[in-house]
Amino acid sequence: MIVVSNLVKYHGSLRVLNGVSFEVRRGEVAALVGPSGSGKSTLLRCINGLEPFHSGDIRLGQHLHLVGGRTPPHDTLLQLRRQVGMVFQQFHLFPHMNVLQNVMSGPVYALGRPADEAEATARQWLDRVGLADKLHARPNQLSGGQQQRVAIARALAVNPAAILFDEPTSALDPKMATEVMRVIDDLADDPHVQVAMVIVTHDLAAVKTIADVVHVLGSGKIVFSGSAQEAFAPGGPASALE
Amino acid sequence: MKRQWLLVNLLVLVVDTTGLAQEKKELRWGTDPIGGGPYVYRDDHGNFVGFEVELADYLAQELGRTSRMVTGDWDKLPELLDKAPGENGIDIVLNGYELRADLQKQYPATRPYYIYRLALIIHKDQAATITGWGALQRLKPDGTKHTVGVLGGSVAHEYMKSRTLADTIDLKINPDVATVIGLVEQKRLDATVQDTPAARFYVKRSNSLMLADEPRKSGFYVILTRPGDHELREQLNRAITKAIRSGVLKTIYEKYGLWNEDQERLLYWAEHTDWPPPLEASAEETVDESAPDMKQLVVELLAAAGMTVFLSLTSFPLAMILGMIVALGRVYGAWYIRFPCSFYVEFLRGTPLLLQLYFVYYLLPKLIPGFDLTPVQAGILGLAINYSAYEAENYRAGLLAIPRGQMEAALALGMSPLTALRVVIIPQAIRIVIPPVTNDFIALFKDTSVCSVILITELTRKYNELYNFNREYILELAFVTAGLYLLMSYPLALLAQFFEKRLRYSGGEVR
Repeated sequence: MIVVSNLVKYHGSLRVLNGVSFEVRRGEVAALVGPSGSGKSTLLRCINGLEPFHSGDIRLGQHLHLVGGRTPPHDTLLQLRRQVGMVFQQFHLFPHMNVLQNVMSGPVYALGRPADEAEATARQWLDRVGLADKLHARPNQLSGGQQQRVAIARALAVNPAAILFDEPTSALDPKMATEVMRVIDDLADDPHVQVAMVIVTHDLAAVKTIADVVHVLGSGKIVFSGSAQEAFAPGGPASALE
Repeated sequence: MKRQWLLVNLLVLVVDTTGLAQEKKELRWGTDPIGGGPYVYRDDHGNFVGFEVELADYLAQELGRTSRMVTGDWDKLPELLDKAPGENGIDIVLNGYELRADLQKQYPATRPYYIYRLALIIHKDQAATITGWGALQRLKPDGTKHTVGVLGGSVAHEYMKSRTLADTIDLKINPDVATVIGLVEQKRLDATVQDTPAARFYVKRSNSLMLADEPRKSGFYVILTRPGDHELREQLNRAITKAIRSGVLKTIYEKYGLWNEDQERLLYWAEHTDWPPPLEASAEETVDESAPDMKQLVVELLAAAGMTVFLSLTSFPLAMILGMIVALGRVYGAWYIRFPCSFYVEFLRGTPLLLQLYFVYYLLPKLIPGFDLTPVQAGILGLAINYSAYEAENYRAGLLAIPRGQMEAALALGMSPLTALRVVIIPQAIRIVIPPVTNDFIALFKDTSVCSVILITELTRKYNELYNFNREYILELAFVTAGLYLLMSYPLALLAQFFEKRLRYSGGEVR
């Protein structure tokens, strides 16, 4: 479970996040929506420890705790990142590795798992995202949608407690975007994949389908938390985004 | 009226200076002051002195000319005679050039102005080991070869090379007498063979040097001229004879402590009709004068090319490792790491490789007691350090070309920053910089030639050495040397092209 409390983050003198608080449980899909520049991506990067924040705190489970204004201990940061996977808008696959190696990279280099065990895990996840026939392809031989599915498999291969999706379909054409959202939706519905998911996206149709809860971010704060139905109801807090 | 007066004045001035130039034609004599005393060196006031300076002044006066010293590299002085006389041309070579059959053919010599012998100089601490010339024919007590320094292209060089000492002597060639003698003083060379004037000059000024044995194998110092300059040669011969007869030469030589009984024979040779004479030498001193064939020379060049390859192959991997560390420091380090790394790069790129090699080999051992490197070790280290600065810049460009997202994706998976660098960033950066790094490797092949200043005989040094004694093959040797460099570097150039194409076809991503 991820618990974010009163998170404040500045970019220079600009207060990008102004006391954000929300929670996500295992098995839950939370969508973060809001106008461009409202701090959605920054919030995800703070949760993953890629950016420091100035005050507030982030808890993951019982033991992992990031406190604003303090540099987290190296080990805490590593543990946190191993528990919180991230899928980026631009995929960021490693171009010098093939698909299988990309997915194995987390288990092998971050968790120190033996190569054969990592390979078995990687094959399983690649099969799960429908890319079992692309194991030895290079990232630049794949379509954008396929690349993003590899990125999702890569994030899942370290067996995280949560996955953060940062605009996972923004760089894709509608067909590929649908393909990727379907994979995310399948994972969300899979009772064996008990991860907390936080998804930042402008694909509001997908949000309506897959999100258990919608948080609307405005002026650096969560201005609404509730179901997609409530959020997108006529005159609702997210209706202006449509 | 004023204007006309001005013109007349100008005309007088022009006529005047032309007249002066005609009256005071220069005698341009080529020398290499780096060779040092007692030939040409600077006194305490910074003025050039030496027995050859005084001899040149005397000769110029006798010829009704003004003496003009023109400096050049010692082993290239004869080639200066081939240049058209002008700003950089010379009329004669006057710098301890020995009478040699091969040189005599191309640059006819005057009568001798000095009779030298070859002297064996050692450190006093070596007196028990190197008791004389004969000791050089045995290995040292520890079973290693004697390291003996000689001036490249000198008769001492030819003499030591031709003696059957290949199994007991490691010959170190250097273009600078003072440097070689300094290395004997520092006990970094076991001995050096020098002409008696230089030997006595340096031994007298040092507390730690001595002559190991009686000097042997006498020869003549002569002045080299252009083949067509018969008249100049005759004038010089007359002036030399006059100087011997009148005692002027003796006065000059006594001033520098150079007069000895050998010089009593100068007059005989100055007047003897059968000049040049056959060199007098005992059987054991005989220099092998049978001209080597081209095949033998190519074999020698090939062996030296082996050293060039060895230096390149050992120093470049070191340069790559050092360069990568420095580049990582510059790109990812805190300010207190970035700053010294930047200084390292700029300092090494901003100073010549030659100077750096000098520093590593000659100065570091003086600064750090107990720190001693063989020439090859110093060469490898010097080249590696110099090229690491260039490689650091290549890698820095490569690292900066990797999108920030790659590092973030690796960190987001839970890799430590060091693992992310090792597994994700560096492999990609290295692939990007393969073409420029390959180009640098080619450049390094050629830069190994600078190592000749620290006594390493690589391809260029060997070429210089060989052409000094085989001037009839000067063009052939140049072509073979160039060909060998090309043979070494062209496959690498092809490799660089291959990688460039591969990068282009994969849209910047390397497969």
